Amino acid sequence: MNAEILDKIKEILAVILDVEKQGITAETYIIRSLGAESIDLLEVAVSLNSEFKVNITENDIFLIRLREQITEAEEQGRDTGKYLAKTLPFLPRSRIDEILKDLDGGPVLKVKDIVCYIDRAIK
Amino acid sequence: MNLKFSGTRALILGGSCGLALSLAEHMINAGLFPILTCRSEKSLDKISDRLKNFRGKYSTARLDFSDRATLASLFEQLDHDLDFLVDFVHGNFESLVASAGEDDVYRYFSENISFRAGVIKQAARIMLAKRRGRCIFISSSAAAKPNPGQGFYAAAKVASEVLYKNLGLELGERGITTVTLRPGYIDEGRGHEYLQSHGKEALEKVPTKKALSVKGFAETIMFYLSESAKDFNAVEIAVDGGLTAGK
Repeated sequence: MNAEILDKIKEILAVILDVEKQGITAETYIIRSLGAESIDLLEVAVSLNSEFKVNITENDIFLIRLREQITEAEEQGRDTGKYLAKTLPFLPRSRIDEILKDLDGGPVLKVKDIVCYIDRAIK
Repeated sequence: MNLKFSGTRALILGGSCGLALSLAEHMINAGLFPILTCRSEKSLDKISDRLKNFRGKYSTARLDFSDRATLASLFEQLDHDLDFLVDFVHGNFESLVASAGEDDVYRYFSENISFRAGVIKQAARIMLAKRRGRCIFISSSAAAKPNPGQGFYAAAKVASEVLYKNLGLELGERGITTVTLRPGYIDEGRGHEYLQSHGKEALEKVPTKKALSVKGFAETIMFYLSESAKDFNAVEIAVDGGLTAGK
C-alpha cells in the first residue's frame, strides 16, 4: 500500500471528520467507525480531487453502489466476486472477498479502499 | 449601510443582460471581482463596451447552456477560486402546455434545469473546498403566478429554485448558503418590452404601482450577497412590490 497516499488521506479524513489522525489506520471503517455522512464524503471527494489532481467518481470510490451491484450480479446469475472485480477494478480480489464476508456489519468502506482508488487513478 | 462581503470573486451567469451589467458595476465599486459569462462574441462586446471604465477589474467567460464543453472550460478558467454566484440565465419559452413541441420541451428543460444543475455542482465544489460561498438565483414572479403561456418557463424556474434551495439545505453547515429572488416587473430587457406593450394594465396589479428599477434591484442583490443578509438561506424572496402577495 502506498504509505504517502495513506498518510495524506488520513490527514484529509482527520480534518473533515474532526478526529485524531493517529486514530485512523488503513483498516478503519470510514462510515461505520468514523461516522462519516454523505456531506462529509462529498467534502472528502473535493479534497482528494484537489490534493491528488484526479477525477473522483464518488459512486466508485465510496462503494456507494456496492449493494446494488451485488443484487445485479445475483439477478443476472453471475459470480458476485467476479462481477465486483469488474465494477470496482481498483479493489484487489482479496479485498472484494473480505467485503463480501463483512456485509452484515454495516457499511464496509475502509480507508484502504480509498488508497487503492487514488493509487490506481494516479497511475 | 456599509455592506461587507465575505470574499471577492463573483461569477455572474448571464452577464450581458442589463441587470447583470449594473450588478457588475456595483460589485466593482464594492471591491469585488465579477466574472461575467455570456454565450456569444456579440454579448462579450456588449460587456466590454458597458464596463470600459473598469478594465482589469472584471473578467469574462463563455458559457452556453446548450454546450456542455463550455462548462468544463469555464471552471478551468475559474481555477478553484469562487466566493459568489449570481445566476441570471434563463431561456425564454412561451407556449401553451398543450401545444408545445416535444423536442422543444426536452431541449428547454435540459438547458435550463439539467445544465444549471451541472453549473451549481461545480461551483459548490469550489466553494466547499473554501468552506464558504453565497449563491443568488434570480427567479421570477412567474414561479409563483405564471401567466398562460408561461408554464414551461415557470416550471424551469421552480425546478431551478429547488436546486438552489437544496444546495443551501445540504451545505449550509459548510458555509455555503443560497437565496432565490423572485423579481416582478423590471424595466429592462424582456420586462421593458412587456411594459411597453402592457405597462398600464400590468402595473395596475402591483400594489406599489411601480416596476422595479435596474439600479434598485442590483442594490437588492448586493444586499443579499452581503454579510448583512447571511442568515437568509434556502429561501425564495419576492421582490415584486407586492404583486404576488394578493389575489
